[in-house]
Amino acid sequence: MLKVEHVTKYYGTILAVDDLSFEVKKGEIFGLLGVNGAGKTTTFRMITGLLDKNSGTITLNGKPIDYSVTDKIGFLTEERSLLTKLTVKEQAIYYGVLKGMQEQDILEKLDVLLKRFHIEEYKERKIKELSKGNQQKIQFITSIINDPDLLILDEPFSGLDPINVALFMDVIKELKEKGTSIIFSTHRMEHVEMFCEKLVVLVRGKSVLSGNLKQIKKDYRKKNIHIEAEHMDLEKLKEVKGVLEVIKTETEVVVKIASEENVNDVFNYVKKCEGVTKFVVEDASLNEIFLEKVGVMYENEM
Amino acid sequence: MKTKCKFLIKQSLKKKINTKWFKIANLLVLIFLIGIVNIDRIIRFFGGDFNEVTKIYVIDEANAYSLFESNFNSLKESLEDLGNYEIVSTTKRAEELKGEIENTKDFVLQILPSPTEYLTAQVISYDAISMITEQLLQTSLNTIKSHYVLETTGIKEEEIAALTSNVSIHKEITNPEGQTSENQELISMGLILIFIVPFFLLITMLTQMIGAEINDEKSTRSMEIIISNVSPQAHFASKIIASTSFVLIQALILVVDVAVALLVRLAFTKSIGLSGETSAQVLKLVQGIQSSGVLSLLLRGLPIMLLLFLFSFVLYAILAGVLASMTTNIEDYQQLQTPLMVLLAVGYYIAVISSTFDGALFIKILSYFPMLSFLIAPVLYLLGQTTILELFISTLICGGFTFFVFHYGLRIYKVGILNYSSRDLWKKIFKSMKEK
Repeated sequence: MLKVEHVTKYYGTILAVDDLSFEVKKGEIFGLLGVNGAGKTTTFRMITGLLDKNSGTITLNGKPIDYSVTDKIGFLTEERSLLTKLTVKEQAIYYGVLKGMQEQDILEKLDVLLKRFHIEEYKERKIKELSKGNQQKIQFITSIINDPDLLILDEPFSGLDPINVALFMDVIKELKEKGTSIIFSTHRMEHVEMFCEKLVVLVRGKSVLSGNLKQIKKDYRKKNIHIEAEHMDLEKLKEVKGVLEVIKTETEVVVKIASEENVNDVFNYVKKCEGVTKFVVEDASLNEIFLEKVGVMYENEM
Repeated sequence: MKTKCKFLIKQSLKKKINTKWFKIANLLVLIFLIGIVNIDRIIRFFGGDFNEVTKIYVIDEANAYSLFESNFNSLKESLEDLGNYEIVSTTKRAEELKGEIENTKDFVLQILPSPTEYLTAQVISYDAISMITEQLLQTSLNTIKSHYVLETTGIKEEEIAALTSNVSIHKEITNPEGQTSENQELISMGLILIFIVPFFLLITMLTQMIGAEINDEKSTRSMEIIISNVSPQAHFASKIIASTSFVLIQALILVVDVAVALLVRLAFTKSIGLSGETSAQVLKLVQGIQSSGVLSLLLRGLPIMLLLFLFSFVLYAILAGVLASMTTNIEDYQQLQTPLMVLLAVGYYIAVISSTFDGALFIKILSYFPMLSFLIAPVLYLLGQTTILELFISTLICGGFTFFVFHYGLRIYKVGILNYSSRDLWKKIFKSMKEK
């Protein structure tokens, strides 16, 4: 289990991470969200021991993070951290041995993973000869080749097409099932919603939102109602109590309401309209929650 | 951590050696060296005017022809690279021969008796004869002159030898550490070639190697993965050891290349046929070194010198590593390492001129300066300008300074290798030096 407690980091006089605390349990997927410069990469660097913190503690399975525990950490950096002149096999051996593995075990594991990612033919190819997407696969493979207890993924889906994003997600879920604690960052909120259980949203190094994703969404009062109807006066709909915004798309109308209590008011109006085929109440998306929380923080600081 | 460090050293060496460019470059160097060592053979193989036989028409008026012929031929044989000559005895007059030698390299040698010099000679040629030919003639005529005098005057051979030999000067030096050579400059040049030039080249190569490798790891960001698993100390040490090992391997290959080139020459000529002039110089140098006592100085000081070289290698490797960690690309590194290279060149220049300024206090002081000492201190010691104790002090200072630079350099390295911005670089460096 990864435990981050009251961690603070300054770059000179600039506060990069401000009293950050969270924990990632065994077999849990944790999202670290925030805009560029929010402090995500700094947090990852402190977890991997690359940066010293000014205060606070970080432990993995109860031990402070040092070179005695880093063998059990997998780290995928935001940028491609591959030695491009090496072949895929050489690269896997290079990082594998640095993780304390034996060469034979690395090669056996590499064959399995290359097959899993459908790139077994690239084993002897140089990294620089591979496409951006395949390089990302190799980077991912080298970060999980040691069966880590903790896997840190900084923007793991960048440069990937939707099919490969799905493939990565499947592998990440498999690792979760095996008990790996996973912490990852992304700008894509839909990815977080798809498989994240807990999250922290950082704004300028400070946590502005944290906890269980389901609970966060539940606690967030605003809801969205998706309506399909033949005839509906949108101007009148906007006047209904609690309606914040009405958005018309090609196929439906999305009504944003202030709280769950306003659902009935909207329903009472809609049932009077002709040809209603859909009335679905949904929680607000994480993207909306993120935009509001981060937006408010930004506005306050401006 | 030890296993990982060993692995990094192995990988680093493998990356440098197990490449086709390393093999191609060394193959080219071997071919180049074979070519240089056998350059005269290659030139002869392609032919030219030098293949022509030069006829020497000898008009002997001093009855010395047979002596001249045997002397000249034996000299020609021992110095076979110097040209093709054919000696022809003639009874024709010089005026008659002028027509025959027109538009040729042939010439007429008239050997004449002299009442004052015993023997004189006259050379008649269409164009001026070459300097080498003139020297050959001079040497042969000087040799036969002694015989000619013996035969014509009745003076004893020992008397001539005693008359013509140099006045011998016996030297007694009371300072056992300060024996200087009579061919000091020549020895100095020899020592510079043997000791200084290879180390100068190796250190230049070493700094380039470390810079390129660290920059490669930084620019690809693989440094983050490496440092998250291996301590900066271990990483730094692996770079220093691997690069030093590489240049030593490269030096060894060069030595083998030279040996192969000489063997190739031997296979073709059955002797390592250095030209007459060169072999004479080499012989003179070897004799000079032996007679000056440099060899015994070398043997006595060698362990200290090797230690000094080792410290200096490590010192330059540390500095190169620190500089590379501060930069984000190889172009910036090359700019930053320029002062280091200039310092190296200064040391080299001072080592070269040290024999000219015997006992110069300024040069002596510089021989204690850690980054220059490996170039200057051994030369001063072998020239007898400093003692073994002074060489040892230079080594101690260099060792201490290397430790100091490693201690503080590592602090900069730790910060530098994960720094990707040149903003406030110097501020970050000075700050990192204060941090433990």
